[in-house]
Amino acid sequence: MTLITLKLSFGGIFYKKLRLFLSVLGIIIGVSALLVMNTFGESAKVKTMQEIETFGPEILMVVSGQARVRAGRAIQAEQTTALKLEDAQALRKISAIQLISPLYTGSSIVRYLGKNISTVVQGVNEEYIKLRKFSLIEGRNFLKDEVTGFKKVAILGYKVKRELFGEEKAEGQHILINKLPFTVIGVLEPIGVDASNQDQDDQVLIPITTAMSALFNVDYISGIFISVYKPELVPLIEKQVDEILLKRHRVSPKEKGFNIIKAEDILKFRTEASSLFSSLVQSISILCLIVGSLGVTAIMLLSVNERRREIGLRLACGASRRAILKQFLIESMVISLWGGFIGLFIGLLGILVFLPLLKYPLVLPWKPIIVSTGLTIFFGLLSGIYPAYKASKIDPAILLKGL
Amino acid sequence: MSKILLQLREIKKTFQSGKVIYEILKGINLEVEKGEFLAIMGPSGGGKSTLLNIIGLLDRPTSGSYLFENREVSTLSTNELAKLRNEKIGFVFQAFHLIPWATAQENVLLPLLYRGKIDQEDIYRAQGLLDRLGLKNHINLKPAELSGGQQQRVAIARALINNPSLLLADEPTGNLDSQSSREVMDILTELNKEGLTIIIVTHDSEVAKRANRIKILKDGLFIE
Repeated sequence: MTLITLKLSFGGIFYKKLRLFLSVLGIIIGVSALLVMNTFGESAKVKTMQEIETFGPEILMVVSGQARVRAGRAIQAEQTTALKLEDAQALRKISAIQLISPLYTGSSIVRYLGKNISTVVQGVNEEYIKLRKFSLIEGRNFLKDEVTGFKKVAILGYKVKRELFGEEKAEGQHILINKLPFTVIGVLEPIGVDASNQDQDDQVLIPITTAMSALFNVDYISGIFISVYKPELVPLIEKQVDEILLKRHRVSPKEKGFNIIKAEDILKFRTEASSLFSSLVQSISILCLIVGSLGVTAIMLLSVNERRREIGLRLACGASRRAILKQFLIESMVISLWGGFIGLFIGLLGILVFLPLLKYPLVLPWKPIIVSTGLTIFFGLLSGIYPAYKASKIDPAILLKGL
Repeated sequence: MSKILLQLREIKKTFQSGKVIYEILKGINLEVEKGEFLAIMGPSGGGKSTLLNIIGLLDRPTSGSYLFENREVSTLSTNELAKLRNEKIGFVFQAFHLIPWATAQENVLLPLLYRGKIDQEDIYRAQGLLDRLGLKNHINLKPAELSGGQQQRVAIARALINNPSLLLADEPTGNLDSQSSREVMDILTELNKEGLTIIIVTHDSEVAKRANRIKILKDGLFIE
């Protein structure tokens, strides 16, 4: 097809720029919304998976009180004192359990050389770091003797270390936790917020024994972390843990003061929440596209009416009705695609700006791009059908009325 | 080879509006020979436009027979009529009807779009036609940049690009001043002398005088 053929066929599209822009606007908004929202959905999914990974499929968490999974995060609704350190020791007898760590969570003021910060202090044992698959960027893990011997040693979360020590080495330094002196023996790598909704960088780990006696003076624990050898064993272990704890507490299942949470539960609720979100977003964007293509239909109808004489002339010059139909179908497709590409461009720009701004992982939105382009073509075709039909029905005899 | 280009026999055209039926053409008989220059005159509402639409294959008669180059065309399909218009008939309109966003040259080439592809030879031909009609320096101008007379000359070039057997002109001078009118009529006369068959519809008796034959249409019938 030569350039002149192309121009004579479709030159009319670009004749009225304002009209073209207005008809394209709806499509631009629809496509960019579709792209941005879908990419956000994908990105949120990736983010969730990253968080869940820190809470592996082979990990079980026993929490005291009735915990609820809300918005995809395990939230402790109320604390009870039912769970004891002895419960954790009793569970260790289950043979499929690989690692187990009791946990007591409290908050404290941590102090170093006049710098005070308020942070979360977690009492754990020497298996905890291995169980959670955390690595240390400085120092070492707790020794078993330190846990059983009520030693005042601490491992700092990455953020705590940065705030107290900056670039300096923290290992071997002495800090005050609630005015008690502790020796720093290690620093955790940066981890981020995990599925238990806690910023794992903003915490200090100390031996559980020290936490319960010297620091918080309690005889109960907040929870127990358990890891099993194989993820397939999780349901079985969950049942055994439940049975043992019920027996030990001598309560009926309804009154139990603990709850067992596994990665699967969190994943399930998270997926439900995000699929609700993305289906909502998708219906809105498709609505946008429908409104946009109705805009194209309206403008095309206007255009057909305004170009009656041109169409009549083409018919008089020997254009078949099919050729006119084709011309206007292609015109609305070109208009829609044009809007679609601008929409994609704006959408991509939005993604590149907003995803990093909101600390979401940057994902390459191939699927949304293909989907929105496909939908644009579809709606472009749809919006062109009626105007093109109207155009092809124009009577060339109008030309002779001296109009 | 027959000398007759087209032959109309008892052509009738009726329109229905609600329950009322209007008979616009009441039985037209007309023969046009090749190379003729025919002018059709008559009062407004006499059926001139309707007749021109039928002759130009833009419309079909309600009844009667229409032979164009010895072929019955009153019963052809819309697509067959379009093809025949494209190959055999050139139109010149009172309001020029040029495409506003296309240049003079592109406007001239428009009928070829529906014949097939446009090649370099066609472009030379369009330029040749525009050159001959005195528009050599205007081939890349848009219609809005041309005067009325120049626009009508572009329209004539467009009508000629397909080497038609018949040129139909509907009030070609209706929107022009007297100077431009004379120029356009000079061109049509010259084309007729070269053998092109022309049918022209006009109110203007000065214009009609250029034709070899004048027919007057009144109330759906030729009165002379």
